[in-house]
Amino acid sequence: MKIENLVTFCRALRERGLSVTPAEVVTAASVLQVIDTSDRDEVFFSLRSILTTSVDDFPAFEELFETLWSQSPRKLVERESFSNTPLRPRTVSHTRGLAFFLEHWAPSHRADTRPVNVPGAGEHESHAQKDFSEFSHEELEEISRLARRIVKRLASKPSRRWQPVTRGHRVNLRRSLRLSLKTGGELIDLAYKRRRPKRTKLVVICDVSGSMDLYSRLLLQFVYGLQNSFAKVESFVFATSLSRITGELKNKTYRRALDRLSANVQGWSGGTRIGASLASFNVQWLRRIDRRTVVIILSDGWDTGEPEQLAKALSQLKDRAGRLVWLNPLLGTSAYQPLTRGMQVALPFINVFAPAHDLASLRALERHLVL
Amino acid sequence: MRKEVRQIQQMLEEQVYIADAAVATALYLSMALGKPLLIEGPAGVGKTEIAKALAIALGTKLIRLQCYEGLDATTALYEWNYPKQLLHLKLAESSAASEAEKEAAIFGEAFLLKRPLLQAITERERAPVLLIDEIDRSDEEFEAFLLEVLSDYQVTIPEIGTIRATHRPHVVLTSNRSRDLSDALRRRCLYHWIDYPSLEKELEIVRAKIPAIGTELSRRLTGVIQTTRTMGLSKIPGVAETLDWANALVALNATELNDEIMAETLGCFLKDETDVATFKAQMTGSESV
Repeated sequence: MKIENLVTFCRALRERGLSVTPAEVVTAASVLQVIDTSDRDEVFFSLRSILTTSVDDFPAFEELFETLWSQSPRKLVERESFSNTPLRPRTVSHTRGLAFFLEHWAPSHRADTRPVNVPGAGEHESHAQKDFSEFSHEELEEISRLARRIVKRLASKPSRRWQPVTRGHRVNLRRSLRLSLKTGGELIDLAYKRRRPKRTKLVVICDVSGSMDLYSRLLLQFVYGLQNSFAKVESFVFATSLSRITGELKNKTYRRALDRLSANVQGWSGGTRIGASLASFNVQWLRRIDRRTVVIILSDGWDTGEPEQLAKALSQLKDRAGRLVWLNPLLGTSAYQPLTRGMQVALPFINVFAPAHDLASLRALERHLVL
Repeated sequence: MRKEVRQIQQMLEEQVYIADAAVATALYLSMALGKPLLIEGPAGVGKTEIAKALAIALGTKLIRLQCYEGLDATTALYEWNYPKQLLHLKLAESSAASEAEKEAAIFGEAFLLKRPLLQAITERERAPVLLIDEIDRSDEEFEAFLLEVLSDYQVTIPEIGTIRATHRPHVVLTSNRSRDLSDALRRRCLYHWIDYPSLEKELEIVRAKIPAIGTELSRRLTGVIQTTRTMGLSKIPGVAETLDWANALVALNATELNDEIMAETLGCFLKDETDVATFKAQMTGSESV
């Protein structure tokens, strides 16, 4: 096989979303020297073991290999340029600024983002009770206190790893022995170690679309409280597209944070596209999520997008995250059943499905967040 | 097919490991390129077996590192032998050696406890097979640490210095996909996926491993197992379970699979109460048994 064909093949793989690095192309090229290139299976298995990194890549690989083997590899590549190639999360490097989202935020920009009419909206109103602006100072204080308490619990579970401390229950033999050298091998000063506390990271993705209007402000206050008493919180909002607000929320007062938010993120309360928003979250942020991360999605599950997209995004998230929590304000209403299409496809992937319509429900959240 | 690949396949078959061309090619490349081989697949399909069979086939040592959460350098790489160090210091108490000399003495290789990774690197005779089992159960910190060791096969111990591998070990990593591994680690490795075997292959495995089982019985047994895998159970039986069951049937001198024998030996391949219920319901529903 000619090297050019191999390179074209790798390019075709990239177009199909596999991330093939130049180093891997080089390895593949050198492998062709040490295998029997007339044996189809051998070439297939060899290239597959080098150019794929997961079983999920196999179908695309098989399909393209078929073409490579049977016909001119020129046909593998449809486009000439690399732009517009839909790369998979792991390789995407371009960053979309807030400006991008603002541009695409207003519902008028897209036909498929019309606002959703929530059936029984009147009922929600009575349950949400008040808009954020009506919350008293004490109540805001209470929300912040709650957030701090949750954070305290998050960092209090011991992990399996050790750290040295000056006082503790377990002797750190390695250090003690070093210390003993000073006293001629007599163990006088002991060094100690203890279990390092488990660091849980939080990712909060908050729905601020029209149907969530009554709750989103309250929930944002909660997110603000979490973030300002705990370093490892990343926060995002979405309606029809996703926007990272970690920076906006890092402000001394919530009032100022809110001012900055509303200055930067206009036109929330549009339609909802949870699937697309979570998919774009995965593109940029999935790699940062590990088993010590609790992902909280605050949404009512009204989605105008494709349910398949939502299911795919959630399953990717679930595979990486320590826990996936979905807080649905509607769950607070007694008659609510999670029957919306979005909620239906989402349920199998969620570890905790809980209400979040008032302070009491946020308080109950505490125990779900500790890994 | 290249003759080395065929050789590997034959060598594995001599160890009663039924290897297809894909596994043999992956192993050959891993040796030819000196890259670690990452094997993924559901539980009980024989991922670990590959490394074991490979070690025997190559006539070399198998060094195994079982991963778990919180696994760290002292369990994976090396640790100082503290009791021995203390004893040595006690014995040297009256000697005239200076503090520096004493320190140099107790932080020498004689006081080093080699854990699997260091063992694999310092193996003198020939390159061992290093099996890093269930890497998905370790945490991210360990994965990063492992990446460092696997990239240049050398280890730095502050008290001794850098130790370079005398022979590059053949590294096999296995994962059950309980979590996603980092891209960096995946890129470092060749990738191989093992799925549940087909009926023919599983039959071949059963007959090779347990020759005492009858032709008809082995066919029935693998048939039942293959159907069981499609039932959507919570614990899908792997090849290991098939072999357990076959062994049990041989031990009971069973010649056919009747209801009674089935009921007695169900526990060999169904490890969950609700799975047993599902299995029974679906089996009585169909006429296959």
